[in-house]
Amino acid sequence: MIYLEDDCLEIRFPELHRNAGVSINFQRTLRLPDDGEIHHLPPGLGKFPLRHIEDFDLGKRNELKKRGGLIMPMFQADALWMYFNSMQETGDEDYPVAIKIGTGKVCAVSGEEWSQTLNRDPQDYIVVPDQPWIDGYNVSKGTVRQFVAAPLGQGYTAEEQLTGKASVGGIQIQAFPMKREYYDRINQKEDLKDSMDMAFCFDAEFSEMGLAPGGSMKQEIYDDPHDFEVWDLRKSERCFVTIANADQWMGVTGEEPPISPFTAHEYTNQGLPWFDYYGGDKVAIAGAKRLGKLKSAKHIKPTQGENFWEDDLPINNPKVVWTNKKEVNAGEW
Amino acid sequence: MQGFGTYVRAQRERLSKDSKDFSVRKVAMKIGVEPAFLSKVEREVVPPPSEGKIIALSEVLGEDQDVLLAMAGKVSSDLLKVIRDRPVLFAELIRKLKTEPDHAVLRIVREVKDGEW
Repeated sequence: MIYLEDDCLEIRFPELHRNAGVSINFQRTLRLPDDGEIHHLPPGLGKFPLRHIEDFDLGKRNELKKRGGLIMPMFQADALWMYFNSMQETGDEDYPVAIKIGTGKVCAVSGEEWSQTLNRDPQDYIVVPDQPWIDGYNVSKGTVRQFVAAPLGQGYTAEEQLTGKASVGGIQIQAFPMKREYYDRINQKEDLKDSMDMAFCFDAEFSEMGLAPGGSMKQEIYDDPHDFEVWDLRKSERCFVTIANADQWMGVTGEEPPISPFTAHEYTNQGLPWFDYYGGDKVAIAGAKRLGKLKSAKHIKPTQGENFWEDDLPINNPKVVWTNKKEVNAGEW
Repeated sequence: MQGFGTYVRAQRERLSKDSKDFSVRKVAMKIGVEPAFLSKVEREVVPPPSEGKIIALSEVLGEDQDVLLAMAGKVSSDLLKVIRDRPVLFAELIRKLKTEPDHAVLRIVREVKDGEW
């Protein structure tokens, strides 16, 4: 079962356990400079709005509604990170869920083309609650390239760089729960220790967006700490998130899109914090070779017009805060 | 509330403006009844047809089958089974929800749809 609740995607497996599920939201954030530096974790600046795609008229692109799922607005060059929270309905342990993340049906963890199952070697998923968020493509061990919105069809996106096609775009999510018997074992061990009604007519050409790699940041993608057999590959839920150009959001939905946040340079100069995450003894997986070859959107020559990337201003002496949960704050803007 | 027959006739006549496939005769053939019977249903001379015929009619006219069934004073057999399996629980649930606005009910029942990708 997948529900939309307060701009969060809630995936649940109630037939397994009340805690079996995960809540996912897409956080607006600062776009990192692509200056050769590996940056710290940027803050969360509030959730991108999510809507049921079938509620809206996409004009000549109404065929996109056959994919189902949700629609979300992003301006080109907006950055995002995905925030995962376990469902906590009872006092039991968090219920582990394996999550695959694709952009244009290219896996953001392994770089491989999308498949409908989990793969262990190379690992093509993250495990919640161990991995509380993901900010970008797994390009090398301990480093990701930030997810940045780019128009589909001009060569920027990871999909276009790796497959040579611009046919999918958007974000794909698929979740697999742990088998109940293995979850019960986890709980036993712990005992021993102690989330429409108005359709607008959209006449302009609807333009779809995809995600492209941006600046680099320090972030580990953790190795699955469980045996592969614990995952219930027969049970999964999936969702396609279509990314609409935020310039067209009002025309499609009748709602104001969120404005682009301030720059990383401006944010830092105000003395606002960046983050570093302490993952304890969790082990990071290697970066995906295919993803390591991706060019940042900054260095792509688009098939039409000028590159959208604006000049990067430096981030000087950022204030870094150690955390095990990133701060999610709408901020003042 | 508009009568079942009147509603069906209005929808069929709307569609028949663009296509000859929606004459009384052709629609009656598609759902497996006599044209004279469908005409009587539309004029509300006779009661609505069976559940199976209403579902077939909803498919031909592109209407929601649950809406047509409700207008005919019927509940689909799959829903009846659900209620019969847990009658107290579902009776309580439906009574509690009857005064809630649509958006509140949608929050409870609306799943994110999956499609082809």
